[in-house]
Amino acid sequence: MKKVKRIFTYLFLSIASIISIFPFLWMLVSMTNKSVDVTQGKLLPGTHFIENVKGLFNTVDIGTALINSTIIAVITTFLTLLIGSLAGYGFEIYRSRGKDMIFNILLLSMMIPFAAIMIPLYRFFGGVSASVPFLGIDTLAAAILPTVITAFFIFFFRQNTKMFAKELVEAGRIDGLSELGIFFRIYLPTMKTTYAAAAIIAFMNSWNNYLWPLVVLQSPENQTIPLLISNLGAGYSPDYGLIMTAIVIATLPTAIVFFVMQRHFVAGMMGSVKG
Amino acid sequence: MKRISKKLLFFLFLALILTLAACSGGNESGSDEGGSDGNTITAWAWDPNFNIAALELAKEKYSGEEGIELDIIENAQDDIVQKLNTGLSSGTMKGMPNIVLIEDQRAQSFLQSYPDAFYPIGDYFNKEDFASYKLPPTSLDGKQYGLPFDTGVTGLFYRTDYLEEAGFTKEDLTNITWKQYIEIGKTVKEKTGHNFLSLDPNDLGILRVMMQSAGAWYTDEEGNINLVDNEPLRLALENYKAIMEADMVKLNSDWSQYIAAFNSGDVATVPAGNWIAPSIEAEESQAGKWAVAPTPRLDIEGTVNASNQGGSSFYVLNIDGKEKAAEFLANTFGSNVEFYDELVTEVGALGTYTPAAESEAYQVENEFFGGQQLISDFSKWMEEIPQVDYGMNTYGIEDILAAEIQNYLNGKSLEDVLADAQSQAEAQFK
Repeated sequence: MKKVKRIFTYLFLSIASIISIFPFLWMLVSMTNKSVDVTQGKLLPGTHFIENVKGLFNTVDIGTALINSTIIAVITTFLTLLIGSLAGYGFEIYRSRGKDMIFNILLLSMMIPFAAIMIPLYRFFGGVSASVPFLGIDTLAAAILPTVITAFFIFFFRQNTKMFAKELVEAGRIDGLSELGIFFRIYLPTMKTTYAAAAIIAFMNSWNNYLWPLVVLQSPENQTIPLLISNLGAGYSPDYGLIMTAIVIATLPTAIVFFVMQRHFVAGMMGSVKG
Repeated sequence: MKRISKKLLFFLFLALILTLAACSGGNESGSDEGGSDGNTITAWAWDPNFNIAALELAKEKYSGEEGIELDIIENAQDDIVQKLNTGLSSGTMKGMPNIVLIEDQRAQSFLQSYPDAFYPIGDYFNKEDFASYKLPPTSLDGKQYGLPFDTGVTGLFYRTDYLEEAGFTKEDLTNITWKQYIEIGKTVKEKTGHNFLSLDPNDLGILRVMMQSAGAWYTDEEGNINLVDNEPLRLALENYKAIMEADMVKLNSDWSQYIAAFNSGDVATVPAGNWIAPSIEAEESQAGKWAVAPTPRLDIEGTVNASNQGGSSFYVLNIDGKEKAAEFLANTFGSNVEFYDELVTEVGALGTYTPAAESEAYQVENEFFGGQQLISDFSKWMEEIPQVDYGMNTYGIEDILAAEIQNYLNGKSLEDVLADAQSQAEAQFK
């Protein structure tokens, strides 16, 4: 009986995993096929891989796009983590009268869709362009800044800080550490898993971010990977083999970041659920 | 300790506020930013093989007195719409290009929503030189804003082998009505087993093709939504239902499936704009098996066997460098026959500049289509396309109609469908 149950469990899991892996498999197979074969749903690997890669590098500047995306994603991740954790730590550790009200207002800001604040933001950066050119429209800084402070990460870090032993803060104070010293020397090392989980989410969000970079980045030298892929698919007769190759290249960095931090990610997410 | 850090925070906050204030102060002066510095002008367009290639060619062919450097920036069409809407609604004009390509069916919504954002360029070229159906979408209040570019002139692409197998000749498909088209489709399906065409239920392009052949649209000349008393639309919907119910449609849900339907040899005809030709030619094994007939027409007085699907035009934004941008367009797309010659041979793009139709390059016989003079045929049909004002909300109205059409297919009466769609559209767009 137990065996039968186990067979069914495995059967179910196998089907589920095939369903979830299939798009990736199809993406990898399509990378080796001609556009015509891709549209006809060919599921066997073809011989067109080298042509697709060559074609991709000849038609678009994917190197620049990768570098731009990396710069934006790394800086965004760093700043998001720094600001989010400082704020989350502050909300949880320090006592203040209006704290909870401010936190609730902050959470409410999660309800506002980005599209609603996009035009004011564009106007703002358009105005900045005149006086501070390196921050204005069509700069990487403009693509980064509006995305680094998010209510989600402040919330995420506050929830996780609930698990952080507050006695450590007291101990640090008694030993004469400054408040920032306590944060960087005690809090940060003990919360590594939380940081890892947050880093993955922040990196992926930034890497795949589409709308704001689209609107604010104009020149091809500043193009990011999602914008490049969008361009590839825009023609009357798009080359699907090329597009799939570009998508595989675009997926690799997030996949690598995820696998490197996977162990911490699971631990970090568990923490936030328990908290 | 705590007190010090609080003070520090306060000063940081103060500094931030001051910076923000300083930035917003600069805002007032920076209203007409963007565009060109010196002789460089920028252009936004989509599709590397088509529009971008056309701009590259124009850059090469430009022979004006002023040295103009064109910086071509490629973006997907939806992305350009998004960027333009954001930039123009923010009112700063910062980051906007000098020249932008806009699809004809969307042009009025831009021209009417942002009246001062575009620069009238009617004085720079002779608009009589262009196919007349291109003029209403590209102008507003008597001013010409767009320089007409490519045509979406439609044709009925068909598999000669399948139709021959079912007993039809070229003449049987020339200048037919949609009713005849459906009857032929039924026979082809019966005799060969092949579906007759492929449709995406969410894309009503075929309705627009049918309507425009009768000079009608979802809106009338004044821009009022006109669904209920719209005889051509009524006929188009009846045809659409008949096609859907005749068991000869291969349904598709996206562009790649649409292309696959004819590349794989599943369907016998593709009623579409001329721009579909390269996608058909991509399947080399079908060379010689295709031909193109004029688009079917509606069973109503005053319709022609010619219509349009898609097509776009160039617009100049009202920012620094606008005169240069207009001059560049006029010198290339606006007047150069030789340029159009190369455009059609090198890029495969068919413009709407009528003097070019006489040139040699337009008479070329296309071997893939059995030696047919494809370009020449298309440019003949192009000049017959009835003029239509596309109005502001073509795609918005179509979303409403697409939902109602499902009810129509499920048995709701045509009167109710049109009345309901009309009231929904009026509520949404008035």
